[in-house]
Amino acid sequence: MEYFIHLAILFSLSALFAISLDLLIGYTGLISVTQASFGGVSAYTVALLTIEYHVNFFIAMLAGVLLASLTALIVGFVFSRFRGDYYILGTIGFSYIAFSVFLNWQSLTGGPLGIPGIPRPEIFGFAFSDNTAFLALTIGTLGLLYLCSRFIVNSSFGRVLKAIREDEEAVSVFGYRALFYKLAIFVIAAAMMGIGGALYAPFLTYIDPFAFGLTPSIYILTVVILGGLGSLRGPIVGAGVLIALLEGLRFAGFPPDVSAQLQQLIYGLLLVGLMLYRPQGLLGEFRL
Amino acid sequence: MDILPQLIANSLIVGATYALLAMSFSLIYSVSRFFNIAHGVTAAIGGYTVLYLAKLHGVPLAAAIPLGIAAAALVGWCLEFFIYRRLRARGASSAVTLIASLGAFTALQAMLALTFTSQFQTLSNLVTIRTFTIGGGIFTSVQLIIFASSVAVCLGLWLLLSYTKFGKAVRAVSDDAEVAKIVGINTNTIIGITVAIGSGIAGLAGILIGFDTGLQPTMGFILLLKGIIGTIAGGIGSISGSFLGAYLLGFVENFGIWQISGEWKDAIAFTLLIVFLLFRPQGIFGKK
Repeated sequence: MEYFIHLAILFSLSALFAISLDLLIGYTGLISVTQASFGGVSAYTVALLTIEYHVNFFIAMLAGVLLASLTALIVGFVFSRFRGDYYILGTIGFSYIAFSVFLNWQSLTGGPLGIPGIPRPEIFGFAFSDNTAFLALTIGTLGLLYLCSRFIVNSSFGRVLKAIREDEEAVSVFGYRALFYKLAIFVIAAAMMGIGGALYAPFLTYIDPFAFGLTPSIYILTVVILGGLGSLRGPIVGAGVLIALLEGLRFAGFPPDVSAQLQQLIYGLLLVGLMLYRPQGLLGEFRL
Repeated sequence: MDILPQLIANSLIVGATYALLAMSFSLIYSVSRFFNIAHGVTAAIGGYTVLYLAKLHGVPLAAAIPLGIAAAALVGWCLEFFIYRRLRARGASSAVTLIASLGAFTALQAMLALTFTSQFQTLSNLVTIRTFTIGGGIFTSVQLIIFASSVAVCLGLWLLLSYTKFGKAVRAVSDDAEVAKIVGINTNTIIGITVAIGSGIAGLAGILIGFDTGLQPTMGFILLLKGIIGTIAGGIGSISGSFLGAYLLGFVENFGIWQISGEWKDAIAFTLLIVFLLFRPQGIFGKK
């Protein structure tokens, strides 16, 4: 039972990460491969504040989300000027820069060894120390962010995003400042990812730079594309299917380093297969 | 001892490895018009083929090195034949093809790691490496070969593209694939051969790096990104531009780490990329 709760937490976090990326790729057409970096900014902030300064988790999370949003504001300001493939390349570049910072700012992040011993959240004397309580927290957060996202994509703001996805020139002709909208959704997606990253840290109680590098960003990309772009149910289904697939590997009994490589093999083959045979994913409404 | 000559020597060596990747990437890009992320992994495939043949099975280097280059060319061609060509026929956007190549890269890199482990392995004990002092900087014989190869490949590609019928066809396809098809050029064959040549050059780079510093399954990606940065710095679509851009990157990186510190090498390179994308996306030598 404990194992299934663990899986359910992983699932809800993956779905949360993927929804945040779907807002960018599926609704605005911005193919970003650096989503994990913003989770990293927030996760490290939470780890440092809760361990070194004994700040309450929820306040630390707020700080982490703010810092992730601020980073996204600066980075997004630069990226909003790029188009198409250059945008993808720019985000891959940033993903490496962020990873270098997590890896090399040793005094703050502990370098490759990471930060262990991140405490579980606590509020009004209630601690989310066992996984069942933690699951309630992550599912609740997922539900809340799902509703927020639905509100965003159905609002007039969301309609402009979809218009940018279809034809950025036309949107500019109608007098909308596409740059502003692209930047706004980039920051919103980073803030959501920041919430996910903040929850990820105390869930595993340990973080290291490799959790926030390019491979995790490719993982999130695979979840979104598998589930389907431009649909909010898509990322949830994608996360469920991919986690079921990856957990199947665990039962095959491979050593951990082999199964890590097999997981990457699966992401890779899935991406190739989806692009060839079903670029809109399982439930998608938008084809790249 | 003055540090400057060695700094210049290091910049030239690193620049030469980047130049091999940059020129081959640029060649492939000129006919297929998308950022082929899987191009990096063909470098690693070249290196590992030599490792497999020469180190594990005692095949003489004179046979193993050409076979390594051929293996890289074959893998590049297969990706083109089985994936990119089909996407092109369907009229898929360059972003879709880019994501498919990202998937192919992830899968192939995982396969290399599963076959050869993720450990660092070197080819250098297969040969006796001598060192030379030229103008106050120290070079190894392998490094001189890398430098010579980059110049030879640049000249070779220039001759091939300028003075042969094949080269003319490549230029026609890169100018306008539709028109090239109408005048009777078999564009798929031309693209296939071009991708194979480019992948072979990347394979050569991977082999030489295996002799110089060593092999790791993940080596190709960062190399490719450096090659792309060199290409963009020099001006995308020109072989000599990518050659010079790659050397520029070599110098910026080495002088950068002299001022800052070695771990930030990749961050410096991507900062250069973002600066170029923002202020001079057409590169130093490119036209608007």
